[in-house]
Amino acid sequence: MSKALIIDDEQQMRRLLRMVLESRGYEVCEAADGQVGLQEAAFHRPDVVLLDLGLPGMNGIEVLKRLREWSDVPVLILSVRDQETIKVEALENGADDYVTKPFGTAELLARLTVIQRRRFTRQSAEIVVDALKLDLLHHEASLNEAPLKLTPTEFALLKVLAEHAGRIVTQNQIIRQVWAGQASDPSEGLRVHINHLRKKLGDTGPRIVNEPGIGYRLEE
Amino acid sequence: MPNTVSPKPSAPPVPLAEVGQYSWGLTLVFVLASTCWVLLPYTGDMFAALVFLMAIVLAGTRWNRGPVLMMAVVSALVWNYFFIPPQFTLHIDKPQDMVMFSLFFIVALSMGHLITRLRAREAALAQHHQEREHLLAEKHRAELLAESERLHRTLLDSVAHELKTPIAIIRTALDGLGQENPYAREIDTANRRLQRIVENFLEMTRVESEALEPQPDWCEIGDVLHAATKPIQNELAAHALRITGTADMPLLKIDSRLLAQVLGNLLHNATRYAPAGTEIEIHAALADGALELRVRDHGPGLRLGAEDQLFEKFYRAPDSPAGGTGLGLAIARGLMRAMKGDIEAHTHPEGGAEFVLHLPVKTRTAA
Repeated sequence: MSKALIIDDEQQMRRLLRMVLESRGYEVCEAADGQVGLQEAAFHRPDVVLLDLGLPGMNGIEVLKRLREWSDVPVLILSVRDQETIKVEALENGADDYVTKPFGTAELLARLTVIQRRRFTRQSAEIVVDALKLDLLHHEASLNEAPLKLTPTEFALLKVLAEHAGRIVTQNQIIRQVWAGQASDPSEGLRVHINHLRKKLGDTGPRIVNEPGIGYRLEE
Repeated sequence: MPNTVSPKPSAPPVPLAEVGQYSWGLTLVFVLASTCWVLLPYTGDMFAALVFLMAIVLAGTRWNRGPVLMMAVVSALVWNYFFIPPQFTLHIDKPQDMVMFSLFFIVALSMGHLITRLRAREAALAQHHQEREHLLAEKHRAELLAESERLHRTLLDSVAHELKTPIAIIRTALDGLGQENPYAREIDTANRRLQRIVENFLEMTRVESEALEPQPDWCEIGDVLHAATKPIQNELAAHALRITGTADMPLLKIDSRLLAQVLGNLLHNATRYAPAGTEIEIHAALADGALELRVRDHGPGLRLGAEDQLFEKFYRAPDSPAGGTGLGLAIARGLMRAMKGDIEAHTHPEGGAEFVLHLPVKTRTAA
């Protein structure tokens, strides 16, 4: 049974989330502010954290930074703020994904499942996302069992997206991993290669979805 | 001869106040000389010299350099002529009187000079001080403005939080109830409408506060359209969306989030005015370094003469369906202008409303 920690200052929200999560078999603990949240995280060792960004006192970003000093527990950001910069800041400080309030329960549960799964990947040299297979050992890709011809940059790009399949990856995270400061205008190069990848993946492969101002998500 | 008046080049005129100072200086020397003349038998000629020096020092504290120097020269000559023996000549007999005269002349001149210089420095200091005060006041005002901007934003954030939280709670609770209950479905519809209204109000405030700074980055038009249509896919489901002109479009450097929001508002509008089942068309084109997007529906079109009013805040067409805030198009225009573009509307010659977005863009062909 998975343990979930809810850090949110709205009591009603915590109560509802508890009901939703418990009905899906989660064991739930909760905290109304960041300080208590960090203590609860240390004490209960949850499998996943739902963190509200707009906390009183220590704000959500600060909580996240402190948590990341000693824990790599998957963190899902809950926020009513729809400003992209805040989301990007959270993601680049170690959050795994976000949902914007108001959110649908189905969306919330799907995100939780995806970010928890991340712990169990990386046990083999192969990444599988639906019909897409990446062989990290031989740097080969295949789609529906047919080989997929990719340039080294395209392969590196697709690898980053596939490792985070179903999760958002910020533009900066992608650029850092694929280009590592080589390109003069990496944002432009990124779009060009995403464009190529989309054409190669066609309609049968997983879709690369853009979230404006944030980054990309490989949708299964 | 052309009727032109060219100002005569001239030396800076002597200010009126200074003319007054010259005549007061002469009068003062005359009055003091007469007094000392009367007192000469009792005091001797050195007394007159000291009185003149005092007058020059006093004059130096109030008057300009010119009149003070004039006083120094005139009083030296007067002293020589009337007081130093032999009287009534500029000739001096005794060597010590010669020395005294020279000393008087030098002291008087340097006094006048030094004192006026001191005053000039004081004036400069005062001006410097004033300028500093002015700068400080300016800085203070800028800080106040920044602070009020920050407060405004904080307030907006907290209002956003307060308004959206209950909506989020209702949404989550309704998901828990399930959509089978028809009453729950009604609440859900109303709640989504409320959410839209709240978001529009917040966005309008943001647009008007000019806190909005577009952040252009390379993007694909397809991504913009995806972001525009996704939040309103339920509303769009009743219409067929036809998109043309986007297939071979190069990369565009724009704030894709803002443009998506503009398009979303236009599309949402179209779904409300055009009858279900009709087509909504989006046509994209690039010309002269600008992106042109046309959004056309097959509804009743626009009321003649209202094409501009549409974009005013809270404008609602007389025959528009209930449930709008009259903000969607005002926001769209605000966002377009923030991006240095614009938007206009007209009724298409073959019927239906057509909105045209015009946005200057940098492009790059994605080879």
